[in-house]
Amino acid sequence: MPLASPIHPGQVVWTGENPGILLKEDPDGPFSAIALFFRIYLSPAGRGTVLLLLDSPEQRRQYPDGCNVLLHNNKGLADYLLDSFILKLPAFAALPACESLSLIGIDESYPEGDPRSCYSEIVKAGSLDIRLTWDGLGTPTALELPAELTGGKENELYTLLIESTKPAIQVNGRQLPGNPVERVQADIKTTTAFLYFSETWIRPA
Amino acid sequence: MARVPVNPGTVAWAGDNPGIYLRETPDGPWTGLGIFFRVLYSAYGQGSAMVILGDPGEASGFPNSRNVCLSTNQEMMRYLVDDFVRRFPSFRDQPGLESMTWLDVASHASQGNMTDTWSETMHATGCTAHMRWTELGSPFAVEVGPKDCATGAHDMYSVFMEAQSASITLNGAPLSGQVCERLFFGRKMSTAFMAVSETWVIPAPDEG
Repeated sequence: MPLASPIHPGQVVWTGENPGILLKEDPDGPFSAIALFFRIYLSPAGRGTVLLLLDSPEQRRQYPDGCNVLLHNNKGLADYLLDSFILKLPAFAALPACESLSLIGIDESYPEGDPRSCYSEIVKAGSLDIRLTWDGLGTPTALELPAELTGGKENELYTLLIESTKPAIQVNGRQLPGNPVERVQADIKTTTAFLYFSETWIRPA
Repeated sequence: MARVPVNPGTVAWAGDNPGIYLRETPDGPWTGLGIFFRVLYSAYGQGSAMVILGDPGEASGFPNSRNVCLSTNQEMMRYLVDDFVRRFPSFRDQPGLESMTWLDVASHASQGNMTDTWSETMHATGCTAHMRWTELGSPFAVEVGPKDCATGAHDMYSVFMEAQSASITLNGAPLSGQVCERLFFGRKMSTAFMAVSETWVIPAPDEG
C-alpha cells in the first residue's frame, strides 16, 4: 500500500550497514559459523561498529576456548543491538553460543574491495584478526519490508540486498567451515551470505 | 511508488547525500549550494564527493569563482552530476554547475555524532571544502516515487534529519547566505539536511 505521504509516519530505530554470513556444513544441519556485522550511523545507543562472530554456534564456548564473541567499539551499542535486535531474531535467540558471548573491544575496523564484485570487512580486536569476505556478488535489490516479513516481526525495514554465493569467514587466517545455503526473503530466493547497505529499521506509527 | 517488498527497478546508487542550501534573503536566489556524496554502491564504483557552488549564477570555475567539484572517483561523480545533481531543483540550470572545476581529492574526513552535529571536509591541491550541520533534529524516513523525487525520475528511500544551522566554507572563507525554511512534503523544514542510508532506484519500465 502506498504511503499517504512520502514522509514515513514511523520512528527510525537505527540506520546503517548490516552484512552477514551464515554457513552450514550440511544443508539440513545447524549453522556451523555465523558473522553478523553492523556499522551503525544512528541509533538510540549512538554510532559504532559491532560484529557478532560465532565459530561454534551450537556450543557455549567462551573466548578463548571458542570464538563466540561480540566485538564492538561502543559497548552500549553492542548491548543495545544484542538485546533489541539480535536476540529478537528466532534463529539467533535459540543458539547456545548467544548465551555465553564474550564482549571484546575493537581496535581497528575497515572495509575493502568493491560491492560490484568482491567486498570485505576487516576487524581487529585484541589477538583476533578477522576478515569477512563476500565474493560472487549478485545484482543489488532494494527491499522495503513490512514488519511481518522481517525476522523480528516488530519493525519495518528499508535495505539494499546484494547476495553473495562465495563468502568466507577467516579468523587469524583460519577459514571457518561451511557454505552458504539457500534462503527465501520476501519471496525471492537468495543465500545466507549478503551485503545489506542503506539499512533502516522503522517502528511503525 | 507502490509499496511492494521487492522493488523491481534497477538500483542506481546507495549511500549518503546531505546538503546545505543558503540564501541571503528568504525570497532571493540561492547564494551558496553544497551537496556531499558518500557512495557505497554504484555502477561506477564507490567514492566520496562534494559539489560546492559559492557563485551559482556565475559561469566560471574555481579559483576564478567558488564553483568546484571535489571527488575521489571522478567517473562516478560525473554520472551522479549528469543523472542526479543536474536534475535537483536547487541546482537545475545553475551556470556554476556547468562551469565548475573538477578536482581530485587528496584526503577527506567526517566528524560528529549525527545526533547534534556532523561535518565533512575534503582536501584537494589548493582547495579545502568544509560542510557543517548543527542543531540536528530527529531522524525520519522518507520514500518517494518519481512524481515526488528530486530528480523526477527515481524511486528513493532515505533517512533525513534537518539542521537548524549550517555552514559551507571554501579555503576557510564562508559562503554567503543562511539556511532558510522550505516546505518538504507539507512539513516546514530547513534547507540544510542530513540524508543518509539512501537508495536510488531506476523504476522498472512497467512500474506505475
